[in-house]
Amino acid sequence: MTEAVSYRDVQFAYPREERLLDGVRLDVHAGEVLLFMGRSGSGKSTVLRCVNGLVPHSTGGSFGGDVVVGGRSTRSYPPRKMADVVGFVHQDPEAQFVVDQVEADVAFALENLGMSPPAMRRRVEEVLDALGIAHLRDRSPASLSGGERQRAAIAGALAAGPSVLVLDEPTSQLDPQGADDVLAAIGRLNADLGTTVLLAEHRLERAAPLADRAVVVDAGAVSAPVPTAEAIAGYEGAPSVTRLGRLLGWHPAPLTVREAQRFGAPTGLERPPPATSPAPGAPLVAVRGASVELGRHRALRAVDVSVAEGEVIAVFGRNGAGKTTLLRAVAGLVSLAAGVVTIAEGRRAAYVPQDPNTLLLGPTVRDDVETTCRLLGQPAAEAADRWLAMVGLTGMASRHPRDLSAGERQRVAIAAVGVGEPDVLLLDEPTRGMDAPSKAALEVLIRGMAGAGRSVMLATHDVELAARVATRVVVLGDGEVVADGPARDVLAGSLFAPQVLRVLPPFLTVEEVAEAIGRA
Amino acid sequence: MSCFAVGRAPDHAVTTGRLHAAAWAVWAVAAAVSVELAPNPVYVALVIAVVGLVVSAHRLDSAWARAFPILIGVGVAFGVLRVVLTAATTHGGDPVLFTLPAATLPRLLGGFSVGGAVSLPVVLQAASESFAIVGLMAAFGAFNAVVSHHELVQVVPRAFYEVGLIVTVAVAFVPSTIAAVQRVNEADRARLGGRRAPRRGRLVRRAVPLIESGAEQAIALAESMDSRGFARAEATAGDRAAATGALVALLALAAAFVALVARATAVAAVMAIVGAAALLVAVFVASQASGRPRYRPRPITRRDRTVALVALGAPMLLGVRAFLGDRTLTWSTSPLHLPSVSWLAVLAVALLAVPVVVRDD
Repeated sequence: MTEAVSYRDVQFAYPREERLLDGVRLDVHAGEVLLFMGRSGSGKSTVLRCVNGLVPHSTGGSFGGDVVVGGRSTRSYPPRKMADVVGFVHQDPEAQFVVDQVEADVAFALENLGMSPPAMRRRVEEVLDALGIAHLRDRSPASLSGGERQRAAIAGALAAGPSVLVLDEPTSQLDPQGADDVLAAIGRLNADLGTTVLLAEHRLERAAPLADRAVVVDAGAVSAPVPTAEAIAGYEGAPSVTRLGRLLGWHPAPLTVREAQRFGAPTGLERPPPATSPAPGAPLVAVRGASVELGRHRALRAVDVSVAEGEVIAVFGRNGAGKTTLLRAVAGLVSLAAGVVTIAEGRRAAYVPQDPNTLLLGPTVRDDVETTCRLLGQPAAEAADRWLAMVGLTGMASRHPRDLSAGERQRVAIAAVGVGEPDVLLLDEPTRGMDAPSKAALEVLIRGMAGAGRSVMLATHDVELAARVATRVVVLGDGEVVADGPARDVLAGSLFAPQVLRVLPPFLTVEEVAEAIGRA
Repeated sequence: MSCFAVGRAPDHAVTTGRLHAAAWAVWAVAAAVSVELAPNPVYVALVIAVVGLVVSAHRLDSAWARAFPILIGVGVAFGVLRVVLTAATTHGGDPVLFTLPAATLPRLLGGFSVGGAVSLPVVLQAASESFAIVGLMAAFGAFNAVVSHHELVQVVPRAFYEVGLIVTVAVAFVPSTIAAVQRVNEADRARLGGRRAPRRGRLVRRAVPLIESGAEQAIALAESMDSRGFARAEATAGDRAAATGALVALLALAAAFVALVARATAVAAVMAIVGAAALLVAVFVASQASGRPRYRPRPITRRDRTVALVALGAPMLLGVRAFLGDRTLTWSTSPLHLPSVSWLAVLAVALLAVPVVVRDD
């Protein structure tokens, strides 16, 4: 098989830092999708940025070995000379547009390559169709949704007709719908055009079935590529079905619900005990008949929701269904067109926005957390220590928040809001871009808050998270409450059901199955 | 526009009824010069109304278009500040509105007196001058809201393309930074769960990170441009000649300016001529150099020329009126009287609405 990309004993250190990559050897087959798994900060980005020479041409630092793509070595070809063989897409969809119009931005690479105008015209049409964004051609990238924007960025990278497409966590800043669109588009490109794809991704439920082979990156070391099912079987961030398969000894490890359903349920498993959701405590928040209008758009229509002590409420709904607006209404950030939001006397509700960067303004992680205390006039040092420990970031307290991964920044933002000790913590899409350890830390934190007589309300698309932590689920549709009830009841009857429930009903999580096995 | 055919000649491929960037440039300059020629608030109000009409008819879906109201707001804020400062420092005229406690600054700070009698003519005069500035901001904001900056860059000669693009991209950070400030403000309210944050030290706490995140985005964008082959072509001899010419022109004109300040008129004249000549050569060479292939170039059509010519009619007519001694173009508040209006000048300003009329081709 021909090699599309080969890493030949690559060594690299960022300027004034210790060596990160030490002897990376890797051959990527032409036409395959190779998945790069690994924790945040493991060096996935650095490995991927070697492919078109951004490492070392753009970063500086000391580089050894060689990366060869299509017969060109990045030692002698800088990124601009690799543009026709490697397309590169990075995680921030906002910072990749040169022209304020989708179509003209797609043509940018073609103009740089000096393609003839008729060929250019044709290629742009083809690429717009390949990504399904022809109807967005006249739009400004700034006005698109995250998923649309990232697909437009892929179109821009793909326009020059590269044989290799590199995507560095392309969905980490997107909501699940946008992420699904982007990953589906990547799968289509690989299947239809035979483009070789190098993909770093945390969202393995969707990405793993796309990939032919996978590697794990850990502290700059890249494991040998093996078929995805093999690589993922022992991986900490594996999807729930894969972990279920591991628990029940299924082989090969299933990557999708369909694959898992073939194995059939094991016999003799006791049904899980009925949910022992503790009797809700004193009411904290009451939303009564709340309507919100954003411009001409009715974002919420006569919504009734209550929050009591000890509850963890997951709010579901498609994009634009009003999840964020509901949270912002509880936080008192939007004015109501009708209805009232009442918060129990002396209690407070604080909100963590989707984009953690809006909160992270200080020079260090610790400073960002302490700022909230200072603004509230509370003692800072001890509370900050406690919250940094709670989100598992004690070791990073003196780091600059912008040096952290998306998932880590999200956790800093949660700590920075939580440290003010609000009685209701409102989390907006908290698991975007989070790797497995970050999610685990978040779950512990949410349970801890609920256990301490506070409550948490999270707007999310992450059913697996909801299955593990939520006591109640509220589903919004078009600004109205469509369902509101105990988590198990709502999740069991819904198309949003978590993977384990689809394979082994009525179990919701792998942990429940493990307990049942323990009892059997 | 969904219809397309593979291999269709790009020259016939204009999809939208947009006007050419060059036509918009002429229109915006015409509007700005009109405000300068006729700062009478009645005419300025007319210009602003016409500009608003044009923006609502032609605005693009861009960050700048969304920033248009903000730009107007900035203009108004500066205007109000100017009125306050003028009212507090300039005195004289009747009637007096009210009297403030007066103080005279020490000589180190200029030695003028602050406060005292605030009179209506002074306030009105300052307000009228500020209003003209709002009119200029409106013309500038409207230009940015309706023009495709990318198209503008595409019009400049090949040798200046890279510089032009970098400037465009840099300027685009202004509206995105404004949006970032709004998001940060809200996040600050959100984290405290409804309590008010003390304002002290807020600006400093936010300015640095905003600049940092701007720089970070700029680096990401630079990498994206690099990955897509920006500046991949080697500079040709023509490019180098044009760049050298432009540099010489810049130096010569700067020298001319220095000479002018030093009152060496002859040297200044020589340097100015050298600079102008070098600039002409640079532009000529640059436009002769082999063109950069462009995606769907937009030819200048008769419609573009019509708009440009009609719009130019406004400042030209106003200029003629001024030459003929039309006293209504400016408004003096002392002695106090209502601004008067001449219908010919109104007609001239109305010419600026031509882009609305030709909207549908």
